[in-house]
Amino acid sequence: MDALLVPFHYEYMLKAMFVSALIGGVSAFLSCFVTLKGWSLMGDALSHSVVPGVALAAILGLPFALGAFFTGLLAAFGMGFVKARTPVREDAVIGVVFTTFFAAGLLLISLYPSNINLKTVVFGNMLGISDGDILQVLIISGVSLLVLALKWRDLLLFCFDPHQARAMGLNPTALRYLLLALLSATAVAALQAVGALLVVAMLVTPGATAYLLTDRFGRMLGIACALGTVVSFAGAYASYFVDGSVGGCIVTLQTLVFVAAWVFAPKHGVLATRRLRGREATEVPA
Amino acid sequence: MNEAPIDVRVTDVTVTYNNGHTALRDASFALAAGSICALVGVNGSGKSTLFKAIMGFVQPGRGTVTMGGLPVRQAQRRNWVAYVPQAEEVDWTFPVSVHDVVMMGRYGYMNFLRQARAEDRERVRESLERVRMWEYRDRQIGELSGGQKKRVFLARALAQGGRVILLDEPFTGVDVKTEAAIIDLLRELRAAGHIMLVSTHNLGSVPDFCDQVVLINRTVLASGPTAEVFTEENLARAFGGALRHFRLDKSTVDDSDGRAVTLLTDDERPVVFGRGGHLERRTDKED
Repeated sequence: MDALLVPFHYEYMLKAMFVSALIGGVSAFLSCFVTLKGWSLMGDALSHSVVPGVALAAILGLPFALGAFFTGLLAAFGMGFVKARTPVREDAVIGVVFTTFFAAGLLLISLYPSNINLKTVVFGNMLGISDGDILQVLIISGVSLLVLALKWRDLLLFCFDPHQARAMGLNPTALRYLLLALLSATAVAALQAVGALLVVAMLVTPGATAYLLTDRFGRMLGIACALGTVVSFAGAYASYFVDGSVGGCIVTLQTLVFVAAWVFAPKHGVLATRRLRGREATEVPA
Repeated sequence: MNEAPIDVRVTDVTVTYNNGHTALRDASFALAAGSICALVGVNGSGKSTLFKAIMGFVQPGRGTVTMGGLPVRQAQRRNWVAYVPQAEEVDWTFPVSVHDVVMMGRYGYMNFLRQARAEDRERVRESLERVRMWEYRDRQIGELSGGQKKRVFLARALAQGGRVILLDEPFTGVDVKTEAAIIDLLRELRAAGHIMLVSTHNLGSVPDFCDQVVLINRTVLASGPTAEVFTEENLARAFGGALRHFRLDKSTVDDSDGRAVTLLTDDERPVVFGRGGHLERRTDKED
């Protein structure tokens, strides 16, 4: 029993678990919009596009969140700009723009290796997170949660029916960039926990899991946030025992929960579908 | 809120997209309060561009759209413009209920947080009852039939209190009974002074319920009362060779009884012209 409580005796583990849980919760909230809007690739793109910002901030001695947020948004605008002015398809535009940003980030980091560690950016460094970084994560998460709590209904309408949003005098373009800004900000925070490579999992998997479990948006938000928070906490906790990467643990656990939901979900699960089909098969001859 | 009747004026509207394609050139027409207007034209004729211009989704390079004398933006702020989307445009797997969708029509009346008040809930209930969908309010929208889906979005337009209602292919995937019910509802709304603009391929039903017609092919070819505009000659201009066109007077029908009938169809119910441009209508007995 005592062995299970060991991680709670270390300050660095406590920080890792609670900060991961917070980031997991905020990312999960956003993941509902990302999955419903079909923006998984966009989430991946933004999480890579913040890397040059982190590098620049490190070189200039600024808070990394500032730089990351700036290049994330710049990438989002860049994609919108290229898409509007070329006949190239959206996924190709996203691919071209975000790899460019990521490449610029890698280049900067390799040119100024003393200011920032490539491994930290790509894989995250939750166990070594500094108090300054925790403060940045807290601010980002707080602001994101506040904006989401105030504006989730508008964002929902934007995802569901942008034409109607426009017809009622809402501004879908502004809502689009609001969602992109939230994604960039959250990607920066999640970068700390799981690294640039795995941020997209935090921004997609909880929403996808919750989608399997309900067909009401309110409940989907609740389930996703609960899962994102608990699973991220548990992942960081488990990383102590397997002595492995925090990001790896969190994302693996999230995937396990997703698979469980996929199999056991009451309506959209594999078993439920099979039951339904079995029932229909017996009813048809009758 | 001002309940005085409003009109729709489209004046010399030209829309050119970023890729240089001019989808609509110098399009003009006007609709008075209390009318159902069919928007008829081939695919790519600029129908959806015209819809987008009226909804403020595209900004005309030249020309103006006004409702009740106000530009589109201000009309939208008064919740005058409602939209019933084409079935294919909606993500039916989206996790929202019938009630949720209709409540979205009330956003324009709600505060910054979009919290529903008693009046909003009352209007949603009224609207759903009016289209006879109240008992389906807790269904996820994908679990409905084609006709029920249409009625949900009509209820949203009603809940919004839209004065100008744009309907995109409202009868696609809808059974005859629901079509008749939707048409009845549109007539009630017309009597209440609303303007319905209906984009449709269902040419045969146009004379049944539309009192105005706008024929469009990259510009407005003709507009006005159905009897004057919806003629064989105008339709031939609007569609060119794109219509299936049967001249029954050159067929065996003519040999048997000597009457001339022209049948035009754009996929769905045909429009039938008799001798001298007489327009066939469905009589109530057939319904």
